[in-house]
Parts: sequence; structure tokens; C-alpha cells
Amino acid sequence: MRKKIAAALLAAATVFTMAGCSDDTPTPSGSDTTTKGQDITFWLVGGDTPDSAREYLIAEYNKRTGGTLTIVEQTWGSIITNLTTNMPDANNTPDVTEIGNTQSPTFTNVGAFLDISDMYQELGGSKLLKSFVDVGMVDGKNYTLPYYFGSRYMFYRKDVWEAAGYTEMPKTLADFNAAVVDITTKNPLGITDFSGMFLGGQDWRNGVSWVFANGGELAKLENGQWKMTLSDPNTIKGLQQLQDIQLHASMAPTTAKDQSPWLYINDSDSAVEDDESVTTTALSAATIMAPGWAHWSIGDLVNDERAWNEDKFGTYVLPGNDGKPAPVFAGGSNIGISATSKKVEGAKELLRIIFSADYQQILGQNGLGPANSDYVSALGDDQFAKALIESASNSKLTPAAVGWAGLENSQKLEEFFSKIADGGDVTALAAEYDAILTPLLNQQ
Amino acid sequence: MSVVTTIDAETGVTAREVNPRKRKIAPYLLIAPAIVMLVVAMGYPLGWQIYTSVHHYGLAQQFGKAAEFVGVDNFTTLFSSSTTWMVVIRSLVFCLVNAGLTLLIGLGAALLMKAVHKAVRLTIQIAMLLAWATPVTAAVTIWIWLFDWHHGVINWVLSHFWPSMVHFNWLGTPLGFYSVATLIVVWMSVPFVAFSIYAGLTQVPDEVMEAAQIDGATAWQRLTKITLPLIRPVLMIVALLQLIWDLRVFTQTRMLQDYQDPLNVDLLGTYIYRMGIGQSDFSMASAFSIFVLLLTIAVSWFYVRELIKEDN
Amino acid sequence: MPSTQETTAQETTTGQLGIATGGPVLKEGVSLRVRRIGKVLLALSGVALALIWAFPVYWMVSSSLLSNTTLGKSTPTWFPSSGTLNNYRTVLADGRFFDALSVSLRVTLLTVFVVLIFAFLAALAISRFKFKGRKGFVLALLFIQMLPAEGLFIAQYKMMANAQLLNSVIGISVLYIAAVIPFTVWMLRGFVAGIPAELEEAAQIDGCSPTGAFFRVTFPLLAPGLVASGVYAFLQAWNEFTVALVIMQEPTSRTLPLWLRAFVEGSRAREIDWGAVMASSTLVAVPVIIFFLFVQGRMTSGLVAGAVKG
Repeated sequence: MRKKIAAALLAAATVFTMAGCSDDTPTPSGSDTTTKGQDITFWLVGGDTPDSAREYLIAEYNKRTGGTLTIVEQTWGSIITNLTTNMPDANNTPDVTEIGNTQSPTFTNVGAFLDISDMYQELGGSKLLKSFVDVGMVDGKNYTLPYYFGSRYMFYRKDVWEAAGYTEMPKTLADFNAAVVDITTKNPLGITDFSGMFLGGQDWRNGVSWVFANGGELAKLENGQWKMTLSDPNTIKGLQQLQDIQLHASMAPTTAKDQSPWLYINDSDSAVEDDESVTTTALSAATIMAPGWAHWSIGDLVNDERAWNEDKFGTYVLPGNDGKPAPVFAGGSNIGISATSKKVEGAKELLRIIFSADYQQILGQNGLGPANSDYVSALGDDQFAKALIESASNSKLTPAAVGWAGLENSQKLEEFFSKIADGGDVTALAAEYDAILTPLLNQQ
Repeated sequence: MSVVTTIDAETGVTAREVNPRKRKIAPYLLIAPAIVMLVVAMGYPLGWQIYTSVHHYGLAQQFGKAAEFVGVDNFTTLFSSSTTWMVVIRSLVFCLVNAGLTLLIGLGAALLMKAVHKAVRLTIQIAMLLAWATPVTAAVTIWIWLFDWHHGVINWVLSHFWPSMVHFNWLGTPLGFYSVATLIVVWMSVPFVAFSIYAGLTQVPDEVMEAAQIDGATAWQRLTKITLPLIRPVLMIVALLQLIWDLRVFTQTRMLQDYQDPLNVDLLGTYIYRMGIGQSDFSMASAFSIFVLLLTIAVSWFYVRELIKEDN
Repeated sequence: MPSTQETTAQETTTGQLGIATGGPVLKEGVSLRVRRIGKVLLALSGVALALIWAFPVYWMVSSSLLSNTTLGKSTPTWFPSSGTLNNYRTVLADGRFFDALSVSLRVTLLTVFVVLIFAFLAALAISRFKFKGRKGFVLALLFIQMLPAEGLFIAQYKMMANAQLLNSVIGISVLYIAAVIPFTVWMLRGFVAGIPAELEEAAQIDGCSPTGAFFRVTFPLLAPGLVASGVYAFLQAWNEFTVALVIMQEPTSRTLPLWLRAFVEGSRAREIDWGAVMASSTLVAVPVIIFFLFVQGRMTSGLVAGAVKG
């Protein structure tokens, strides 16, 4: 114990002196020019990257450089905090990090990432998913590049749609909008709180698809300043369609976000019961919109695991007004090298590995959209891969404005969309939130 | 090492033959470790907070851009925003309701513990210990599960009496959100209050109560005229702590908001967190923190004043 | 909730009435019956209170034993008769729980140990001495307690990063110790003031050495107070997770609340695995419950003394 106290006191004293004299960002020391034996740290966010891919990266990095690659898994809930604290700190910064694509503009604009324009061609150039490359650019320079993409499409209950008289899925957006309202009114299975299309009131990530599908935008860059465009006629049109669905086809709580909508499309009581107690089904939605990997969570319960049942479930890509896939909000993330990294050469080598044919294919085989369009075929050709590729073909990202991450965190978008869902006056709300949000967009 | 210090200190205090000079230095030596610890851990963060509250300090500054001195601008912006005042008012109401409920229930539970048979008292005590010992992260998770709109047991029970409650989304409206938050906070805080007050009650001499009974005092009179005044010191401290803790409640509401957020339900702590970590507006977060400190002092002024008086 | 509280208050009053009528001035049968009914009502409301307070904990443990199929049913399962330990197996599979348990134990014990010593010394100073700056010190302790911690993370990170104490038990403990000291000094102040210095002097006159006098006389009187403040420090260090989130970033240096949070978050990305989440919540709660049951007796008497001297 004595030792421990001594250690604590010593530590305390150290903190005191250190805190007293040094302050702010340490300047990065000159980077090594050789990759030999550089040990680097790579932050991945969430569990999307499968273990096999991680193992490949570690082994391949060691093979190429002799150094050790340490992968640290961060969570989406704390990534902003940790990037904010660690990236300016040369001693504790990750050398390479994944970052949400909507968060990327904020960090690239304050100089958190290293300029990797010189590697752009080498890593894939114009083959890389453009919308993701764009959110990683500032003044024509590349700071972050796409890591993988996901997309959003529909999952629907074939049995429910058929019971309501729909044997074929609608071909245009207008037909779809009308169909989900119709199914809700018919409620063929007589379910309590039934939704033809389950869409959370605060769920702007899925809801914005109707805006994009009608040619609307959330914001535009005008003379170097970002401006919200919620009052744009096309945006208004999309918001009105969305409101109609919210009011007449969705029983989702107005507070629901895009978290786990698949809970409402599964039969949760389908497991066979010994006793003959009346088990009412938990099924409460005919259609949901979710990221592609949600299909792992959809299906019948077999041995406590979800198993996709082709007779019951289907996938469907939201059509636009012209019948082609509607532009939806892309999922996925970007990747970049920290500006304070002391091991730039090693970090660059890691990027080369990540953008190599082998790794891109590993991503694809695991259902993650590869950044390089040459390897998209690795996703396979089952219905999920097809729906993913098709819906992604036209997908969009949020504006690359410096204040976007702050705007997202202010929760004003959730507020705006939930007011629309509550049946508020769309035009008036759009004008109100244009005024509220525009300053946040440009706030650094 | 520590023990030696303690004993030296003790001798310094108690032995009569200690010389006056040593007596003068002794208290400073005794408080030194605590002070060093506080300065070490709080000094720099506190300085940083004051610094950022009068500068423009956002994400760009965090990444090395020079911070511009703006005087009281941050405070002016903060207090000209109606959101800020709404947060302050909501937090004060939340704090008073929670502290009030906690004290009332805690007092009730303590009186009950005093009045019942030993076995029943032990049952109450164990139940309260369980609630007290449950870590806050676990506690919030349990309550979210109990109140889950789709599968939660509370809606299941309520729907038998009121069918419309079958899928009621508790966390969907501010009122429902605060009700759940209040339940969690009260559930977690009552045990400490109940144990402290019960401890105080056991010190009230039985003879006094018996005498009052013989004099014909009713139970209510005995409670208000004898018991409560006698345990006033405990009540004061417990009330003060509840006010401070409930005003700065953070973990519970943040975890609830992470799960489901009816929007605009920020209290002081989550508001600071949103401005700072969320929106990278560290100046605003710091300025508001300083204001919250002053607000807390104001709320607990009744005690602070007494503390100052008592020392004179 | 309000209804519970009303009943409790009412029953209490009734109960005291019962005692009152059965007091020294004895009346016949009627009052005896009233007294008995009162007693029963009181006991019942006591049990009801206990049930309400214990229910969430019971529900946590019960859910932790059930499969997600069972938990997803429209009808709740009140008794986990079909329960298994599968959820615990899932949760413990990757061994991270034990890493986190070890970190949490070390952080908590170090915090409690240092806090008790430092706080005791400071409490001694302010309750036994009059000195210049005493009032300032007492007020500073109070005000530090009131400072919102939510605005300090960035600065705390910078400080710990500069001192190279990120991900270290000592680093986080330093922050916890400072956060807990003010309240514990305060709490202990009451105890120390309650022990007359004359007692020790008397012991010394009786031939005890100063050391012996301290250990034989003062320490036993102080023990309950140390336990009560130790419990407070323990709970704070065990439960805290917002500072830990910033300071303890490495997966191997996570404390239990961080582990639980990461678990809940990871689970939420797909479908909340309530069974596993409840199992992990139970695992985090169990060590504290054991610790509490262990110190329970002393703690109550500790609160007694603290309460009276307040």
C-alpha cells in the first residue's frame, strides 16, 4: 500500500508540474521517412468491420512494414469526443481513423486530417465513390476518402402486402406513397397500431429520401456560404409526401429515430409454445426502411436466431418519380490520416492496404460496399447485394458544410422532422428552420 | 507512511505539552494533502474553464488555431438565448420536484422503519440497499427496459386498466420523459435519505417521546413538534445534498436521451454536454458551467449562510 | 409514485397512533385491537415499500436468465422458471468483463484508500483547530462539489495526456479522489468533532502511548464514520463513467460502467439483446451489493453518528 500511495503522490506531482507548464497542442515532430517497423494505431468505429478483415489488415501490415498495427474499436456514441480530445494530441492520436461521413467535413475543415491528395490517384482516383470523396475535400484537396458504403432500402412483408391486395410492388414513388396509406387503412391482419410504412418521426436519415427523390436538397453552397434549402419547392414537395406518410401510414412514435425499425416487421412470438396461451403477434409494420445489413436481424426465429424467410419477407428499392431508384441517404464512413500523426509513412501504407484489391473484396464479401467501384461485384448477386447496389447507385450524402456535425448534434433536424410528422404546416416550418439552421451550417 | 502522519497529527492535537508553534502549523499540515490533491486535479481544468469562457474557443481552437479574447460576449450570447433560460427553469423545477419527493418518501420510509417489527425493517433495509447499490448505468438500463414502449412490463400492466396504454411511449413526450427520469432519480436517492434519517431517528431518546405521549400529544404533534426539530441537522444536510445532486443530475438524463429523446428536454448537465462535446462550442459550455456553479450556490444559500455564521 | 408515498405516510401515522394508544396509559381491549391492526397495517406497508424498491433489481436478475424469445413475448414472464445462464455465457465469452472488473476494483480501492486518509486528516484539522483560512477551506470544499463536471472533460484529458496518465488507474483515480474528497471531509468532520479530545488524553494519563490511545480510543469511535464515507467514495468511483469515457480509452483499461455502456451500444446497433444487457447489468451490480451487505451494519451506525453531529 505504501508503494501505491507513493506512486499516487508522485503521479499527482507529475500531473501538477506538467499541467502547469505545458499547454495546448504539441506540434507534430518531423515524421519518419521510412515505414520500417512503424507501429501504428487504427481506430475503427462500431463492429461493422468483421474480424476476418481486421486480422487481414494486421497480418498484411506486418508483412509489408514489419511493424505492428493496433486496431482500437471506438463506439459511434463516443467517437466525436475521442476524436476531439485525441487528434490534436500527437502522443495519443490514432494514426489512421474511421469517421462518420457526416462528421468528416467538420473535422477536415479544422485541419484534423493530413492532406493526402498526392495519394488520391494511387488509391483509386475517380473509381472511388464520389459523394464520399466530396465530403472529405476542402478547397480541392483530399483529406478523407471513402471507407465503405451502405445504403438504405425497404424491407416489406409479402404476406401483409398480398393480404391487402398487392401482388406486385409499386413502380413509382407516387404509387408507393398511396399504397402504404391504403394498406394501413385496410389493416388486413387487424393488428393494433399497425403501420403500412413504419417511419419514426425524428428519423430524418430515412425521411430525407422523399426530399431527395423529388429533387430537393437540405442545403446548398452559395458564394462560399452554406444555406439551408428546406423552403425550396422540391424540398417542400418531398416533405409534404413524407408528412402524408407520417400521418396516414406510420404509427411509429414521433420520437423514434432510425434505430432498429426491424423490430416491428418481425413476428416476435413465432416460436412454438407448449401451452396454448394466446400469443398475439408483435408484428406491427408492413414496410420499413433500413440500412442493408439489417437483413441479418429480419426473419423468423429459428433457434433464437433470425432466419430470412423468402415467403414472408421481401426487399424493395424505393423508386423515384421516374421509376428509377430514388436517391437515398447513403450510409457508411470515411477514413483519413491524422494531421498530428508521427508515423505518416506507416499510415500511408495502411491506406494502400485498405484500398488494395484484396481488402476491397473482403469488404464486399462481408456486405460492406467497397469504396472502389471496380470491386462492387464482390458484394455478390443475392437480392440484398442487388438492392444495396441499386439503391446506392443514386445515393447522396449530407452537405459538406463545416458546421454539419454541430448541426446534427444540435438535434434541430430531428425537431424539424418530428414537427412535420406531427402535422405542422410544412411551408411555415421550412422557413422557420431555414432561418434557425443556416447559421449553424457555417459555424466553425 | 500515512499512519505515521496520522499519529503525529494526533499527538500534535491531543498531547498537552505540545508547543504552541507546532499547534499553529499542524492544521495546515493536515489539510495539505487534500489541498494538493484538489489543486492537482481541479486547478488546470478550472483555469481552462475560466480561460475558454472569455475566449472564442471551438473545434478549430482545439486543433491549434489561436483563441480570440471576447470578454463577456459568451455570457451575453448565452443569456440572450431563450433556450438557456428554459433549461434553467426546467432544471430548477426538476430539482425541486425530485429533491422534494426524495425527502418525503425518504422520511416516510425512515419513520416506517422505526415503527415496524425488526424482520420487516430488515426487509425494507435490504430492498433499499439493493436499489442503492445498483450502479447508475445498470439502473437506467433496467428502467428503460421496464418502460420500453413495445415490450415493457409497465405498459403491459397498465394496459389491463387502460387499454390505450398498450404501446404508450413514455419517453416520447417531455412530461413522460421527466416522469421516468424522476422515478429513476428518486428510486436511487431515497435509500441514502431513508438510512440517514432513520439513523437520526434512532438517536431521538425514547423518554422524550413517552413523556410527550403522557402529556397527550398526538402522533402528528409528536412528529412535527419533537421528532422533526430533533433531527433537523440531518434533514438540513440531506436536503442540501439532494438539491445539489438533483440540480446537476446528468448520467440518468443523458442515458435516457441516448435511448430516446423527445427533444428540448435538456437539463443543466446535458445542456453543457451538448454545447461542449456535442457542438464543440467549448466557450459556451464553460461560460454556462460557471453560471451553473453560481446557481447552485444560490440554491443552497440557506446552508452556505448558516455555515458562514456558525464559523463566526 | 405519489400514491405509494401517501400510503406510506398515512400508515406511518396510523402506526404511531397505534403505539400511542398502547403507551403507558393503558386502556382496555379496543385500544389493544387498534394497536394490533395498526401494527399489521404498518408491517404490510413496509413489505409493500420493500417490494416496490426491490422490483427493478428483481426484474433485472430475472430477465438476465431468460432468452430473447421469451423476453420478446407480449406477456411478461414473472418467474424465470425456464431460466438458463446462457446470457451470462454470452456476456463473459470474450473475457473483457474480467479486465474491466480488475480495472474497476483497482480504481475504486485506490480511491477509497487515499480519500479516507486525506479526508480524515483534513477533517481533523477543521474540527479540532481554529486557524486562519479555515472558513475559506470549508467553503471551497462546498463549492468544488457544486462545479458541474460536464464542462471539464477536454481540460481533464489534456492534463492527463500531458502527464502521460491516460488509460492508467492512477490517472483516473487522481480525478476521482479530488471529486470525492470535499464531501468526505465534510462527512468525517461531524465524526471527529463528536469524539472528545479528552478521551484520548485520559487514556494517555492511564498509561497508553499516544499511538495506543489513538488506536484504542479514537479509532473505534471513528470506524463507522470511515465506513460511511468509504461507501460514498466506493459508489462514486465504481459508478462514474463520463470522465472515464475520456480518460480510459483503451479497451483493456475500461472500467465496468464503460464496459456495460459499450455492450449496450454494440447490442443496440442490431436489436437490443435485453437478456444479455440485463446479465451484464447484474454483473456490474453484484460486487457493490456484496460490498454493501458486508459493511451494512457498520454503515448504518456510521450514518447514525454522522447524522446526529451533522
